Amino acid sequence: MAKNLTGDLQVASANRLVDGIVVWLDEAGQWTDRLENAAVARDKRNSEILLDRARAEAFTVIDPFLVAVTEDDDGTVEPLSLREKIRASGLTFDAIAADAVRYA
Amino acid sequence: MPDTHFYRYDDYDRTLVSERVDQFRDQVRRRLAGELTEEQFKPLRLHNGLYLQLHAYMLRIAIPYGTLSSRQLRKLADISRKYDRGYGHFTTRQNLQLNWIKLEDAPDALAALAEVDMHAMQTSGNCIRNVTADHYAGAAIDEIEDPRIWAEIVRQWSTLHPEFTFLPRKFKIAITGSPNDRAAVRVHDIGLRLWRNQQGEVGFEVIVGGGLGRTPMIGKTLREFLPKDELLAYLEATLRVYNRYGRRDNLYKARIKILVHEVGVEKMREEVEAEYAATRDGLRLPAGTIEAIARQFAPPDLPPRPATAGRVEAQRLSDPDFALWLKSNVAPHRVPGYAIVTASLKPAGSPPGDASATQMEGIADITEAYSQAELRVSHEQNLIFPHVAVEDLPQVYRSLAALGFAEANVGKITDIIACPGLDYCALANARSIPVAQRISNHFASLARQHDIGDLKIKISGCINACGHHHVGHIGILGVDRNGVELYQISLGGDVDFGRTALGTILGPAVTADKVVETVDAIVTTYLDAREDGERFVDTYRRIGAQPFKEKVYGPL
Repeated sequence: MAKNLTGDLQVASANRLVDGIVVWLDEAGQWTDRLENAAVARDKRNSEILLDRARAEAFTVIDPFLVAVTEDDDGTVEPLSLREKIRASGLTFDAIAADAVRYA
Repeated sequence: MPDTHFYRYDDYDRTLVSERVDQFRDQVRRRLAGELTEEQFKPLRLHNGLYLQLHAYMLRIAIPYGTLSSRQLRKLADISRKYDRGYGHFTTRQNLQLNWIKLEDAPDALAALAEVDMHAMQTSGNCIRNVTADHYAGAAIDEIEDPRIWAEIVRQWSTLHPEFTFLPRKFKIAITGSPNDRAAVRVHDIGLRLWRNQQGEVGFEVIVGGGLGRTPMIGKTLREFLPKDELLAYLEATLRVYNRYGRRDNLYKARIKILVHEVGVEKMREEVEAEYAATRDGLRLPAGTIEAIARQFAPPDLPPRPATAGRVEAQRLSDPDFALWLKSNVAPHRVPGYAIVTASLKPAGSPPGDASATQMEGIADITEAYSQAELRVSHEQNLIFPHVAVEDLPQVYRSLAALGFAEANVGKITDIIACPGLDYCALANARSIPVAQRISNHFASLARQHDIGDLKIKISGCINACGHHHVGHIGILGVDRNGVELYQISLGGDVDFGRTALGTILGPAVTADKVVETVDAIVTTYLDAREDGERFVDTYRRIGAQPFKEKVYGPL
């Protein structure tokens, strides 16, 4: 069952400076492009600490901020808002890129 | 092969653009090295068209007055492959956006653009943005004069203009040279309409204070007739008044339309004319300068040809889709035996305005083979071949079909304008492209589309109205209500041929899964009520909103 419909659970996110891609702060204080590796703050106090840590690690990212998430019983984290779901999962349609060269 | 029949950069232009690339390269280096903060760097990157969107940086490339050479389009394809994901999005301001640019690659992308006399300056920020123009310019049968000559003059004047680099808000200028406005001049900060007065002189109607966005306004006539050579001085006076009195205290009230609305067009005119009287002699272009630029827009040598061709007629009779394409995607040309062809970037179910690198190259091939190596981007997010011989239409159709761009839907219900929406845009509240795709798939039948007739749907993912929803025959605005995407439907907007009107909201917003059936109900109501020859918007004006409301929401 999904928890945290009130938005108590938070992760810290930003866009990476060098290429703009979406990243989250992990437990080790590194920025990761995998949401499942994000550090989750479980109450307001820890959310403030998480955001402070994110800002302290902001040399390689732009404008860190907190994202409200839910967490399933198996620990899968998902953003609450559609905007953040799209930031986490990418486009919701197939881009016209059949011949696209996907960069690493 | 001649490169272009439009303005070619001189040494001054090339030096300016090249120096700008060098400056930006150094700014990026300093940002990546931590010598500049994001707060310091952000205005610098925005001045070079580099935005940060949801997933990545987005580079907005200026396509002045929507005119491109095939060589430039090939370079755009190349840049999109090399530095992006192999596709681009043509916008409602005749620009191209690349959605996945890396900051570290941006200077190289700009350097590549500079190789073909292009840049991304003034595609962001509170400055005079890329000047737009009629996409049929230089080819339209109803044209009085080619508006691109003046668009180019305005481009040169406004590029890095020190007085107008930090206006209260962004400033958009559109120019048409035809009585049938295809450039939406009444919904721009300044719209310019070339016309001929009773003395036979050609000059500008200057329209001010139009715009969409949060507070849509139809522009008002500031000057009925302005001699052409006075254009820059008059624009300067207008911009100066705006710069002085435009509101800087409230972002949402900073556009010139709010100033004109608050003080009234009469007071605005009084202020502009006073400023103009004091400064008019300081900025009058020498005739030689105007002529030199005009010469660069000299029309291509198009010897008149037969107005019809046997093979066109034969295919028209044997191929129903080609016959529909001739009706909707081909327009008459000023020279007998030629036509203006629109490549629809709206194949069924595709993101409106998107083209892959391969498709761009295919378009470039067609322009070189059949259209004087020149093409246009329309504000309706399509590409136009301005000079096609009528006898070549079957080959052009076949070539476009191979690219997926021969949909016979120009001006029809699936020729949808849509902004990038919440899938890409940091400002959006709701998605636009998936909504456009669902509508497009639902109405994919060409026979049905042509039966419905001219009907323009315009979709915006937020109130900033990049998808021009206010002037859609059916306008769709995405909103966020408590985390749920809802879509507000408006009817009766229009922007074509001087019939500019803002749509009226039909009723309560609908959920995403109800948009298609709502549009279908609106179309059905129109089909049931229309009289001979009536377009959708004509029927709407005749019968009003009530029948549409009852069909969509039930008896009221």
